[in-house]
Amino acid sequence: MTPDLPPVTITGIGSVSPYGPLAGLLPPGPVQTSPITAWTTAGLRRAFLVQPFRAASVVPGLKTRRLDRFSAWALVASSLAIKDTGIDLHQVDRSRVAVVFATAFGCVELTEAFYLSAAANGWNATDPSTFPETLASAPASHVSLFHGLRGPNVTVSNKYFAGENALIQAASLLRHGQADLAIVLAGDALAQTLYSWYEVAGLLSPACYNSDPLPEDDGFIPSEGVAALVMESCDRGNIRSDARPYAKIRSARVAEGGQPAESIRQMIGGSVPSLTVCSGNGSPCATSPTTALAREISGDDAVIILPQAFALGLAGTGALFHLILALSSQPINGQALLLATAGESGFAALLLELP
Amino acid sequence: MTDIHKTIVVTGVGVVSPYGIGLDCLQAGMLSGQCCLAPTKGLYPGFEGTTAQVRELPLLAEHSSSRYSRTDQLATVAAQDAMGNSGRDGSTFRESGIVMANTVGGLTEIDTGIAKDPAAWYRRPGTLLQGASYPFAHVADAVGERCGILGPRVAVSVACASGAVAIALAANMLLDGAASIVLAGGSDPLCPFTLSGFNSLRALDPDPCSPFDQNRKGLNLGEGSAVLLLETLAGAAARNANVMAVLRGWAMTNDAFHTTAPQTQGIGLADCIRLSMEMAGVSGDEIGYVNAHGTGTPLNDIAEANAYETAFRGRKHPIPVSSTKSYFGHCLGAAGALEAAVTIMTIRSGALLPTLRLTDPIESPGVDWLRGEVKRQPLPLAMSVSSGFGGGNAVLIFGSGPL
Repeated sequence: MTPDLPPVTITGIGSVSPYGPLAGLLPPGPVQTSPITAWTTAGLRRAFLVQPFRAASVVPGLKTRRLDRFSAWALVASSLAIKDTGIDLHQVDRSRVAVVFATAFGCVELTEAFYLSAAANGWNATDPSTFPETLASAPASHVSLFHGLRGPNVTVSNKYFAGENALIQAASLLRHGQADLAIVLAGDALAQTLYSWYEVAGLLSPACYNSDPLPEDDGFIPSEGVAALVMESCDRGNIRSDARPYAKIRSARVAEGGQPAESIRQMIGGSVPSLTVCSGNGSPCATSPTTALAREISGDDAVIILPQAFALGLAGTGALFHLILALSSQPINGQALLLATAGESGFAALLLELP
Repeated sequence: MTDIHKTIVVTGVGVVSPYGIGLDCLQAGMLSGQCCLAPTKGLYPGFEGTTAQVRELPLLAEHSSSRYSRTDQLATVAAQDAMGNSGRDGSTFRESGIVMANTVGGLTEIDTGIAKDPAAWYRRPGTLLQGASYPFAHVADAVGERCGILGPRVAVSVACASGAVAIALAANMLLDGAASIVLAGGSDPLCPFTLSGFNSLRALDPDPCSPFDQNRKGLNLGEGSAVLLLETLAGAAARNANVMAVLRGWAMTNDAFHTTAPQTQGIGLADCIRLSMEMAGVSGDEIGYVNAHGTGTPLNDIAEANAYETAFRGRKHPIPVSSTKSYFGHCLGAAGALEAAVTIMTIRSGALLPTLRLTDPIESPGVDWLRGEVKRQPLPLAMSVSSGFGGGNAVLIFGSGPL
């Protein structure tokens, strides 16, 4: 994405997270962890968990009985984001609405269930209703099906920058006229196989084993949830008199290596963002290289919003929550950078314009 | 007038298929009418069926911090084949983008033991790394790590349309200027998880499949990978690259109809075909051949036939269509990429491949179901069509040489 392409506008926000299902910005203050009860653990284990809720009470008419939690959250979050825009989808050409979904682990709970059915009954007697729902793209398909959206439907991922990539792909579809409106979603659901992997690999923060209140910077605590943004081409967003632009995405750069500072300076074209929102990649100590890069680009006086533990716990798919949390935390305007780093020189940077 | 900065060209094709490694190998096998589908036993205890397997896949060297699943290995060998055949030094690709599709990820590395006690399973030697290969993003990482590519990297999973969607997104990336070269494609292996899943849905034909036949009974699974080197015509000219084909148009739609079944009239797919032709600036009369999704399942093939009737209505002659899944099965997340490779091969050879075992085609007056002998004719434009669970559709239009 180059700086001279027309920007796109974020006009709606919805989410399902430990904060609950919400349209628009998130409430101030950090969210708390909860004990894991969905499976048997060897002692206390905590994570940032979505508390059970009745989807139909949030989105009237929504039936989720046959869906896993992840797909249900995608439906609720997308519905809340659309509601937040004020758009009536019945007044929109839904063949021009895209869905771009980012996930690191896909429908991992149902993948577990499918393995369980194979373990119990043999591979020749697995559950046919579960199999199609194990696909990583199933939640995005449900979003298209529920809202009747017939534009492009894409599920993407990246070990560190899945959320950023979803934003970039959606912006690309809008800019090239392949859609007028895009619903961008990113997130994951926490399952036993995933949490156990983190635990055996030694990645969990001590706070996962502790009932005391959580310090803000206490390392990696796994999270779950889905964030949804509605994006429109600026032309379209400007036409709607009731549109509320949260941010415009002006340009982006992402690479797995190279010269991050040089590439980002080239992208921002000499301007210095007044604010940098540090995204994370889910691994411990993710903040420091990102912060250092932010200071290298914007100087020591730049305002830097550090990653919040909840969004850090969404490995690779936390970018949307990082952005929503930053927009929710304080009144901000001007140019901002959504920035993440990974490995020796991997980075993702999106240049935003905040109204 | 052609805008060389907005014209996307194919400058390399890498293939791993049941025929072996390379596009030449694929072409020789298919043109000779060789079918790779064969009776298969033992892919999991109790499995008996028909599949197409890749034999003699070179194994990638691993080190203490890496584990490459079969999906990773297929993809990496195909990427190396594409780069190797381009005649360019590996360093050319250092800042390239990677868009790799798959649906299976590292499921080949995980057994049912994980379900009963995941923590105990991960404590077995090597299993932490096996588990780490599970995310579908791992395949793009494997290609990047093994090929020394550090540009933007995107993994794609859109069920059986994945491979074609990866190519479409890569084309968008090039238009955005996100990279000057993008390696785009798909990869998927045979594995108990997917074989069991399609078996549970009763979607498998126990014998070699018969796409578009009135008596079709289902699909056969195959495995493989294909990777295209994509760049702008301006970039290709600057690098003096060999242009194998032009990606003239691409489009993606969703049926928004059902989680597994296609919309019966093929409306979403017909829209996708129409949009791709609009982007290419061509009419239905100009498309000389369609490489169909053609799985051989009752629902897919009738919906697809209906889509062709709608999208090509008004054509002077029936549209020539064949399904090359009748040669090497349905390779899931790799299918769209492999079939893009076959479509490019068809344009370059002018040899339109028939659907194998098609004796009693679906009645569809607007479609010329290719069967019997290979049909030879100049082919300036051809289309590759993909669909998948969840209603995803993707269509790619390729043309011969520079415009």
